[in-house]
Amino acid sequence: MKKNSMTPKRKRTIGQIMNRKEVAGYVFILPFLIGFLGFIILPMLVSFGFSFTRYNILKTPSFIGLENYITMLTSDATFWKSFGATLYYVIFSVPLRLIMALIVAMLLVKSTKLSGFYRAVYYLPSIIGSSVAVAILWKRMFASDGVINALLQSIGIPSTVAWLGRTDTAIWTLIVLAVWQFGSSMLIFLSGLKQVPVSLYESAKVDGAGGIYRFIKITLPMLTPTILFNLINQIINGFMAFTQSYIITQGKPRDSTLFYTVYMYQNSFTYGKLGYGCAMAWVMVLFVGLITFLLFKTQKRWVYYES
Amino acid sequence: MKNNSNVTIKTEFTDWTGYWDKVSTMAAGGNLPDILQQDYAYINQFQESNQLADLTPFIEDGTIDTSNIPESIIESGKIDGSVYALSLGSNAPMMVYDKEIVEKAGVTIPEQPTIDELYEIGQTIYEKTDVLTYFDGGINMIQFIARTTGSYLFDELAEGTADSSLLYFTSIAKFSDAKFCIPANLLVEKNPEVVETKPIIDQTTWNDFCFSNQFISVSSTAGRDFGICMWPTTADAAAQPEYLKPSMFFSIAETSKNKEAAAKFIDWFTNSEEANEILMGERGIPINTEIADFVKGKVDDVTARVFDFIARVTEIAEPIDPPSPSGFSEVEELGKRLVETLRFGEINMEDAANEFVTVSKEILEEAAK
Repeated sequence: MKKNSMTPKRKRTIGQIMNRKEVAGYVFILPFLIGFLGFIILPMLVSFGFSFTRYNILKTPSFIGLENYITMLTSDATFWKSFGATLYYVIFSVPLRLIMALIVAMLLVKSTKLSGFYRAVYYLPSIIGSSVAVAILWKRMFASDGVINALLQSIGIPSTVAWLGRTDTAIWTLIVLAVWQFGSSMLIFLSGLKQVPVSLYESAKVDGAGGIYRFIKITLPMLTPTILFNLINQIINGFMAFTQSYIITQGKPRDSTLFYTVYMYQNSFTYGKLGYGCAMAWVMVLFVGLITFLLFKTQKRWVYYES
Repeated sequence: MKNNSNVTIKTEFTDWTGYWDKVSTMAAGGNLPDILQQDYAYINQFQESNQLADLTPFIEDGTIDTSNIPESIIESGKIDGSVYALSLGSNAPMMVYDKEIVEKAGVTIPEQPTIDELYEIGQTIYEKTDVLTYFDGGINMIQFIARTTGSYLFDELAEGTADSSLLYFTSIAKFSDAKFCIPANLLVEKNPEVVETKPIIDQTTWNDFCFSNQFISVSSTAGRDFGICMWPTTADAAAQPEYLKPSMFFSIAETSKNKEAAAKFIDWFTNSEEANEILMGERGIPINTEIADFVKGKVDDVTARVFDFIARVTEIAEPIDPPSPSGFSEVEELGKRLVETLRFGEINMEDAANEFVTVSKEILEEAAK
């Protein structure tokens, strides 16, 4: 403890207080802090409380202990179905998206006159990809008389598949949509790639290492911190996916595309079981937290930090 | 609103399910709009939780003039002797069909076919034109089938009896097994719950199930006129299942600070020629009998056919079921899930009916707590 900061009685003017470095810092982050506490932490705590209640949206909540959690885990088949669908979506969409992002980032890392333009173009889907407009467009594209089938027919494959109507293909339309939105991971990979010291490549070249060898032995290891960051980010994003399932498929067919968040929404707002919805949200928080924790645990084995 | 310059009306558009999600969230937050549309299926739940203002005082003091409105219509918005909602018009279950296809197949559609007749007609149409048939898979149809035996679905569900449900799932199975019916995977994409994607619009099917107040929007979306008839009944029906339903209600929120102005607006909406000249029966046939006559002389052909349809239904209609209990939306969703499972051939009709009844019973008991 610093002695002089503890000395009391000596009055400070507001100006003096405000001039201290730490205070200035807090003042600058105050708008964020207020928002974070008021709009994220507080509602989260409230929802934690509600998760132990029977809370019909139109009535006052009543405490029922762990009943919501028990029902969910033991007797709600749709809960498990939606959990499975979400997991499937995350397991396939996240790695594919990251691979896509890395490939495009590798292509764009060379500076040319147009690289700024290309970066913007490839980033675009990330901005518009989760919008309702794209969701509706997607729905039309994969319709039985949509453009995807038309393309397949034009190259001689007589396809009239109702992509959205089959339990085995519907979720893949959503996965493809997710992979298409690789922009933000791509940008992060780009900056990661630029930090790899050129000297490493140069000495590797002198030693006669080929392109693939350089990629495996230099680029990938140097990128592992970026990969970890992207992986965690995208997994969290993946579990939060909502619009695609809500607008494009409404969980159909046979709940094969019913994302966890959509089922949570249905419970909370359509069925009016808000307590149950809150409990679902907390199960999700815990699960995603656990996955993130495990990933951090594994980083010693595969993530390489230069320092 | 030139007569009420201090009143501004803000309107919002949403689709059906989105609307109820939104309104219940607003109700929970205590910020319902002054005036909200209500439906027969939801009015009970909202009234039970004190979200709706009692309109009786406004009717008694004449703010809402009811002198030309039949008592039976006022009755439809009454709960425990007080009026909580005022109907905007009458409505009835309606099956629409594509005239061109039906003509090409050389069949005639009766005023009210039986389910078996619909099956045969569907078969003929497919043989002659390759166009598919659709059979409704919603909760309204279960209620409708229950009504053919004079039964009320939610009583059956509360008791745990499966009679009507089995009858319903049997029909669903019969149609989904037939190759002339629209297959389950196509129904996902051409979702009949949304007007724009209804399979009748692009002639994937020749028929569709709706309510008479949707007829105008279905016709205008398709850009052509359709034939209309009543929903199919069973061959051995003991009672006429067709009914008149209050199409939409206006209610005033209990939390509203402008109840008086809101009541005035409702009065204007129902009783003024000015408002109904704009509406032209879009919400159903006006409940004010004088206004109904006034509008009838002015509407276009499409709307006039709806007016005639309602007139024909009025002659035979049996009274509507009581408003649905809390838990209704979850039971509805359960029904849809089971119908889809059945159509995908992953459950048989007996199991579907039994599961529907057992789980519905649990849902209704839970919701009543």
